Amino acid sequence: MDSSEQAALREAVRDFCGKHAGPQAWDRLAGELGLTGLAVPECYGGSGAGLAEVAVAVEETGRVLLPVPYLSTALAGAVLSEDGAGRTGGAAPGAEFLPGIASGALRAAFALGSAVTASGGRLTGVAPHVLDGAEAGLFVVRAGDALFAVRAADTVVTPCGTLDQSRSQAAVSFQGAPAVAAGCAAERAEDLLRVMLAVESAGAAAHCLDVTVGYLKTRVQFGRPIGAFQALRHRCADLAVEVASARATAYAAVRAAASPVSPASSAELAVLGPLAKRHCVDVFWHVAAEMIQLHGGIGFTWEHQAHRYLKRAKTSQLLHGTPAELRRLVSQRAGLS
Amino acid sequence: MNDEQFRAEVRGWLTTALASPEFACLVGKGGTGRAHEFVAERMAWERRLGADGWIGLGWPEADGGRGLPWHRQVIFYEEYARANAPGRVGHIGEQLVAPTLLMFGTPEQKARFLPGIAAGTELWCQGYSEPGAGSDLAGLRTRASLRDGEWHIDGQKIWTSLAHVADWCFLLARTEAGSDRHRGLSCLLVPVRQPGIEIRPITQITGTAEFNEVFFDDARTLEGNVAGAPGDGWRVALGMLGVERGVSNLGQLIGFQREFDAVLAAARGNGSAGDPDIAARIADAWIALQVMRFTAEEALGGADQEGGVAAGGVAAGGVAANITKLLWTTWHQRLGELAVDVGGPDATLAGPDYGLTDTQRLFLFARAETIFGGSNEIQRNIVAERGLGLPRG
Repeated sequence: MDSSEQAALREAVRDFCGKHAGPQAWDRLAGELGLTGLAVPECYGGSGAGLAEVAVAVEETGRVLLPVPYLSTALAGAVLSEDGAGRTGGAAPGAEFLPGIASGALRAAFALGSAVTASGGRLTGVAPHVLDGAEAGLFVVRAGDALFAVRAADTVVTPCGTLDQSRSQAAVSFQGAPAVAAGCAAERAEDLLRVMLAVESAGAAAHCLDVTVGYLKTRVQFGRPIGAFQALRHRCADLAVEVASARATAYAAVRAAASPVSPASSAELAVLGPLAKRHCVDVFWHVAAEMIQLHGGIGFTWEHQAHRYLKRAKTSQLLHGTPAELRRLVSQRAGLS
Repeated sequence: MNDEQFRAEVRGWLTTALASPEFACLVGKGGTGRAHEFVAERMAWERRLGADGWIGLGWPEADGGRGLPWHRQVIFYEEYARANAPGRVGHIGEQLVAPTLLMFGTPEQKARFLPGIAAGTELWCQGYSEPGAGSDLAGLRTRASLRDGEWHIDGQKIWTSLAHVADWCFLLARTEAGSDRHRGLSCLLVPVRQPGIEIRPITQITGTAEFNEVFFDDARTLEGNVAGAPGDGWRVALGMLGVERGVSNLGQLIGFQREFDAVLAAARGNGSAGDPDIAARIADAWIALQVMRFTAEEALGGADQEGGVAAGGVAAGGVAANITKLLWTTWHQRLGELAVDVGGPDATLAGPDYGLTDTQRLFLFARAETIFGGSNEIQRNIVAERGLGLPRG
């Protein structure tokens, strides 16, 4: 349940996303709305809110697949603000990057593959499939269990063509790149990223359902709106159940992510991160696929928005833990196997 | 008293009561697929619950309840499930009839019926479904006419849970001759033990009987025993269906967790947990159980404050209970299937007199859950119409 401040934030972001599309939305989103600094402490130019507020903005920008690196940048702001105990009050390990994140001047991306190694404060290796990597000025990088921040200028970035054209990917090569050690552990960072992908997917799935239901109310065949046919109504009802469950699950994970770090909240996040990502992205995938089918031929066209959601869903499903990998992870972490 | 103190009070009471010689035999009894067990003892248990003030927690204090908010009621149901306390025989009165009387009843009716429900001394059944009126409830044909200060009732009801132990029946009947569909119906409060009523149990796929057929042959009730105005029964009947917001469902989830734990233990015990397919289904069942819990919590919270996050507007349409029902019934059915698959070939054997294991009972009885209380197809219609605003077919 949103607090009143979160509800106001949600309304402001939704309103913004209704008026601004395309990459050029970035400057106002970061500047005017201050969304990239939501989880950055005020002393570094942010608003000192937190991950729960970032989640609200991620969901709303996710609903419209706003083609800006919001999720990764805002989350990098949160992660680099944390010290080793998850606190954000003192001197932040990533202090030098935070003002840039808060202002929007610095866009960030997460490189959490396992092929990069650290030695003497320098990173070596290649990270493929870095989401939002093509336009990033900063990478948050896993090397072993530790997390580092590396300026893009110290790496070789190779942008990739992507199935989902609303979010870039890059292969990032580190050749002895100077790195700043972050306080946050790599595993926590990846679980937080999973939580945000879950929230984004829940929002996008809700949008797909809204659009589809709207279409079924107006598309007439056999002399009536096709939404009157039970074969379609029942499928929409099942999708509504899934979307409700996805949002509930995503926000349960957000609560775990935004709780003060403790052994209990860390254990909860370790389960709910992969659990929420798996459930919410699977729901998103199902709703997006049904969106195309329920729209009929128009849903198969390039012009219609449905394909963008299908491609985003599949991309989110295959990165940062496939469904099968996440199921195994949940199973291990929950003590089922 | 804060929530944790309240929880401690509930837990303490349950522990003591279920350790008493009279009720110790009831732990874990009367649950899924075993409503036929220990009926007399469970009726006594109902009276103990009532005597100690555990019935009607959410009713207003002026009407004999405790006026507790929903989350306190949830705490009660959670602790009830955690204690493995017996399946209730008084829930129809407490959770359906009483809230309906609170909405539609006269002061006299509330004074007459609520104390018996709160004390656990008067049990209720619900007479809605008929052989020709299942999902299409408005097609019902049981009729009642007023003569000499009494309603005279003729017809037949079916799938009536607990009719064989109930004192009263909350009966939907056609009271205006020549009316059809939703018009001319009334909700009558009918004493069950009388010459004009005959009850026959229905043997179901478990070999046991939890539902009944109820035949009315000039059965009677007093003229004043009608909830709401005569002829306004459809509105009252729908009001009853709307009062179930799923408060008890959160408690039910603890029972589900226990059943899941038993399946997991069985899979580890016989080695089937090492089978990748079974391991995946176990993980999926556990994940879905957590998802169901989050959804139920959010739906309930959202029901108190309009526009809960979870349903994203769907809860605002009042369909949270429908969403919850679709989720738990299908989950429970899958768990039953997983349970017998974990059991393997041994799960195909039955004991003497068709004695079944808990696993087999779960597997079989769960088939009823997607049908009763409004079939899942009807639930989907409601979600589509009221939650999503899709046109009627």
